[in-house]
Amino acid sequence: MKKLLLITILLTGSLFAQVKGNIEVPYIPYKVKMGKGFTTVQANCLTCHSFGYVLNMGKQPKSFWKGKIHKMVADFKAPITKKDQAIIANYLTEYYGNGKLK
Amino acid sequence: MKRRDFLKTSIAASAAILGTTELSADVHQARNYNNEISEVNFPEKARMIVHSDRPPLLESPMSTFTRGITENDKFFVRWHLPDIPQHYDPDKYTIEINGLVEKELKITLKELKTGFEQVEVAAVQQCGGNSRSSFSPITGGIQWGNGAMGCAKFKGVRLRDILNRAGLKKGASWVGFNGRETAAYYKTPDFVRELNMDELDDHVILAYEMNGEDLPYLNGYPIRLVIPGYYSDSWVKMLSHITVTNKYKHLFFMDKGYRIADNKCECETPDHLYKTTKPITIMNVKSIIGFPENGMKMYHNSEIVVRGVAWDDGAGISKVMVSTDNGKTWDEALLKQENGRYAYTEFRYAFKPAKYGKLTFMAKAINNLGAEQPLSKDIGWNRGGYKYNGIHEVTVEII
Ligand code: HEC
Repeated sequence: MKKLLLITILLTGSLFAQVKGNIEVPYIPYKVKMGKGFTTVQANCLTCHSFGYVLNMGKQPKSFWKGKIHKMVADFKAPITKKDQAIIANYLTEYYGNGKLK
Repeated sequence: MKRRDFLKTSIAASAAILGTTELSADVHQARNYNNEISEVNFPEKARMIVHSDRPPLLESPMSTFTRGITENDKFFVRWHLPDIPQHYDPDKYTIEINGLVEKELKITLKELKTGFEQVEVAAVQQCGGNSRSSFSPITGGIQWGNGAMGCAKFKGVRLRDILNRAGLKKGASWVGFNGRETAAYYKTPDFVRELNMDELDDHVILAYEMNGEDLPYLNGYPIRLVIPGYYSDSWVKMLSHITVTNKYKHLFFMDKGYRIADNKCECETPDHLYKTTKPITIMNVKSIIGFPENGMKMYHNSEIVVRGVAWDDGAGISKVMVSTDNGKTWDEALLKQENGRYAYTEFRYAFKPAKYGKLTFMAKAINNLGAEQPLSKDIGWNRGGYKYNGIHEVTVEII
């Protein structure tokens, strides 16, 4: 009898408003490689998205990283100076490169 | 599992016409640079593969693809811009309908639920970049494995009914949709989608419920657009504005994102990019094996039931073929289709391994129009890494 009752309730009501109050999206502690140029990356590459975007690409050649930096500047209007772009390209090639230029 | 539960369709499939190029997709399939299930749980979500926290990019684990309906807590999450409002008062939430309409409307969530006919549609929601990491060489965009997809029963109101209530003015031909996510930097383009009126049919809905529950926050609570048959780039989340216009506006995410070579094979090479592109729109035929998973050890002489899902743009799946001899011979899997033509078709294939060592399962879906999935080596490359639908392969070890 009890069981039956439960089923009826489940059928008539659905599960609404499961979360009350503010939603907090957790922070992921990304294991980022520290090294020359990292502070420049930190200052320029983490405003619009997390470092997860970089890790998600896997190890890639220098031309790839240069292309991504260019895409950020040209398409998404990231305000990054030429000088910083070069520092970031070197950092990414050093720590997230695959040993190839192209 | 009862065999009679499964529907077998009998429409004969003809060979598909699909382009090939010298460039191909990775034979090893989805590289999944990161296929680890994260220890960090996101609001309302079970353990997921986490590609990014800001904006949240959460991929569903492969085990999800053994069932026709994906649970809300395992449903993938994909935002474009990092600023997502943290809270809504459902009593105050409104969407605005403006532009070339007779009367501008502001509809509250409550009015949406009570003032219009309520409809339900089960539909596959798949990112245009799902399985992107299978392309080689690497393409632009987030390198998803196979889990940027799910299938749910969405409940809501027809977009058509809402537009009719507002009344379309002469010349109304485009509808723009904007949600509440915003960029961190003011010059970054907003994520607005535009659809032509001709593309809208009665199956397009403004959904507030998913699998009998409120939409999970990260899936677009309280209202999102659902366009069955279409890649989900246009399924705008946290919908705030619907704007009717007579002209197509040139917006970044329409003009540069989610486009593919405008030729028959929808393919190109990195050195010879095709000069014109088109939006990705409707989904191609595809299937994914949810069980077993790559690298699993399976017991000799113990029956393996391969389980997976197949879908297309709504033409409907007619067959799923499975091969255990690297594509030399194909055997028909059992199908279960209970949620309509836009939903997943579940498939099952029982196999008793007699030999030890490596064993590869391949699954190929064929739809009612005769279109079938190409081998991964025959997939044409495109710069954005969209629409990957190569035959899925899973290799296990028989011990
Ligand atoms: C002004 C905002 C902004 C800044 C600053 C920015 N990005 Fe991005 N980035 C974006 C957007 C927007 C996307 C695409 C998001 C989407 O499609 O969902 C993106 C995507 C990416 C991707 C994914 C691959 C692809 O082709 O889309 C990578 C990798 C990336 N960014 C790296 C970087 C690096 C490295 C930097 C620092 C040089 C950087 N970003 C700075 C906005 C930015």
